Amino acid sequence: MIDVRDLHVRFGEVEAVAGIDLSAEAGQATALLGRNGAGKSTTMRVLAGVVPPTEGTVLVGGLDVARDAISVKRLVGYCPDVGGLVPLATPWEHLQLIARLRRIDDWETRSRDLLERFELGDVSHRVTSGFSHGMSRRLSVVLAAFHQPDVLLLDEPFDGVDPIGVDATLDVIADARARGACVLISTHLRDLAMQACTTAVVLRGGARVASMASCELEGEAGADAYRALLD
Amino acid sequence: MPTARSWTDSVADLWHLLRFRTQTVRRPRAAAVASVVLAGFTLAAMLVPPHVGAVAKVGGPEQVVGYLPSMLSGFLVLSIVSAISSGGGRELLPRDQAAIHPITTTTEHLGALVLSPLNLAFLLQVWLLLGATSLVTGGDGWLVGQLLVLLWIAFATALAQAVGWTIEIVRRGERGVAIVRTIAVVGALAAVALHLSGRFVPLLEGGPTRRLASLMAGTRDDAWLAVPVLLVLTVLMVLIGVIPARAALRRAPRDELKVESGIHPARAFPSSDAAMLLRMDRAAVWRSVPMRRGLIVLALGPGLVALVGAMSWGSVMVLPGLVISGGALLFGVNAWCLDGRGVLWRESLPVSPQMVFRARARVLAEWLIGASAITVTLASIRAGVPTVNQAISMATLLVVVTLQVVAVCMLWSGRRPFSVNLRSARATPAPPLVMVGYSSRLAVTTTLTALIFSTASGGGWLWLSPVLAVPLLIWSLRTLRRAEQQWVAPAPRAAVVMTVAG
Repeated sequence: MIDVRDLHVRFGEVEAVAGIDLSAEAGQATALLGRNGAGKSTTMRVLAGVVPPTEGTVLVGGLDVARDAISVKRLVGYCPDVGGLVPLATPWEHLQLIARLRRIDDWETRSRDLLERFELGDVSHRVTSGFSHGMSRRLSVVLAAFHQPDVLLLDEPFDGVDPIGVDATLDVIADARARGACVLISTHLRDLAMQACTTAVVLRGGARVASMASCELEGEAGADAYRALLD
Repeated sequence: MPTARSWTDSVADLWHLLRFRTQTVRRPRAAAVASVVLAGFTLAAMLVPPHVGAVAKVGGPEQVVGYLPSMLSGFLVLSIVSAISSGGGRELLPRDQAAIHPITTTTEHLGALVLSPLNLAFLLQVWLLLGATSLVTGGDGWLVGQLLVLLWIAFATALAQAVGWTIEIVRRGERGVAIVRTIAVVGALAAVALHLSGRFVPLLEGGPTRRLASLMAGTRDDAWLAVPVLLVLTVLMVLIGVIPARAALRRAPRDELKVESGIHPARAFPSSDAAMLLRMDRAAVWRSVPMRRGLIVLALGPGLVALVGAMSWGSVMVLPGLVISGGALLFGVNAWCLDGRGVLWRESLPVSPQMVFRARARVLAEWLIGASAITVTLASIRAGVPTVNQAISMATLLVVVTLQVVAVCMLWSGRRPFSVNLRSARATPAPPLVMVGYSSRLAVTTTLTALIFSTASGGGWLWLSPVLAVPLLIWSLRTLRRAEQQWVAPAPRAAVVMTVAG
């Protein structure tokens, strides 16, 4: 479902991603791990069609991101790492925008259901600029998962989220996997990543340094192995 | 650990913050050039007028002396209006960045004062006052005249700032927004009534500014005595301003919180993608406190001046350009900042970038033409029924200037985006010095365009204005097209998105 070969992304003289290879399958959840600045969020942005690759091949659902970004965007649901919400729009308006642009019929029932599951039903008609960080993160996950995308990209979905929000996010990931979607999660919370994912890819300095089954990073031994990969 | 801050600490903090702002300027060379240019204009305003023979032929120093008291008072009035509408003046640091630092309200107050000159409207008035004083005093009293007018500018700015904070205390109180709106309406009506009764100009000309102007114009030695008096008054006013600043900044910004906590009921599902994008963009503009407040001041202010001053259609022609360029400074020069950090998510949606661009440009155009239409409508009450040529020229001018400003704003938005949070009423879409550059370029372009159409409206050729509009429209459409192409290209668009997302 996701096939990345020798991806490079440069911003001027800064090389944010320096030759990443990555693949992720349908029905699986893959954790993207690494230190700050390892290239996780930039890779996610490329997969979401937001940032074009400087070099390399990026296929999402068989479509080349560089050539057909709009079609890729139709397949993908993306929760960005920062903000991700239009400040003076309400959650309902965000969902209405998705429903309109993605041609979703009968969207209101699913909207209400998701907002309730993430405990955002009470604020669905308030602008998001007044939201706490955790509320914003929860809504970003709702927006990414709302249209049941084939590829679900969640960048730091658990950051600052309370346990109920974490559970709701884990449910969304499980639902996506159950219907055959490919899920990619970038996070610094290793335990939650291991709980949600089947495989893990570790990035360092803009390149992949390891790819393994998530169970290999569980427990104390897993933590030591992870630290060793980061240094 | 001691947390109290003395005056000296507050001044030191101000210095540190100003250094931080100047060191983090994105294009230091351009900023240095802009600073030199501004200093050059100021020096020119101080030195050149007595040597320009043409000015003397128009009316000479004697005539300017008559205007000086009302010019000095006018500066004070406009400074007060500006301080009130900007909710206490500019921020040294954006609110979300400043929140983690122990910045005192005294530093905030001093920062707003120091940043006041970084505003084209302020600078134009300052240059006008310096030039007029220089013309009046000539060579003999030049030094004391310039000192006095500079001190008056400082005093008026400090007084306006204190009034601005005081009004902000009221605005942030119980039913404060309604009270301040009532005060504004009553103030405007009082100004109109005073003018209609023939007492407005005498009021501006009277009082301390008449005495100050006579001191400037005279050759008496007591002009020098006024220097320390004004200096002491200015320092006192700066100190007094700390009190309302402290009281205002301790209160929550009620109108901003009202937007954030208010309910915005769901609306019907839009009929098309474009309609949905327009709806989102319009909401971002109209729900923003600084934009709404700025638009009201921009639309009504010049309109009321035209109404009170009974401007002719030839003079009214200049107003739409000023309103449109002022309106663009509220968000248009950094149009993508409306999405804030949500720009990353919006960019992941399957919609053509052309459609996104056109929606944003259209909302900007609606905003600008709406504000200028209000101004022209108000002005038309006293200007009377326009001739056919004047009506054609005005309509053509509105279209031309709007397209000019929208095109150039969309180009700048793509070339030089900034990550800003327009949540605060004191926020601006770009750093202060950049805003001066933008406002200068917009004001020059729109004023020159207005002068062309104002001249054309005076002749008997009905076809002249539409014909003159053609090359200007073609140029603007080409600029708009370039801006769209820039946005549609994936790499430049990604750069904008990443910058705006912060």
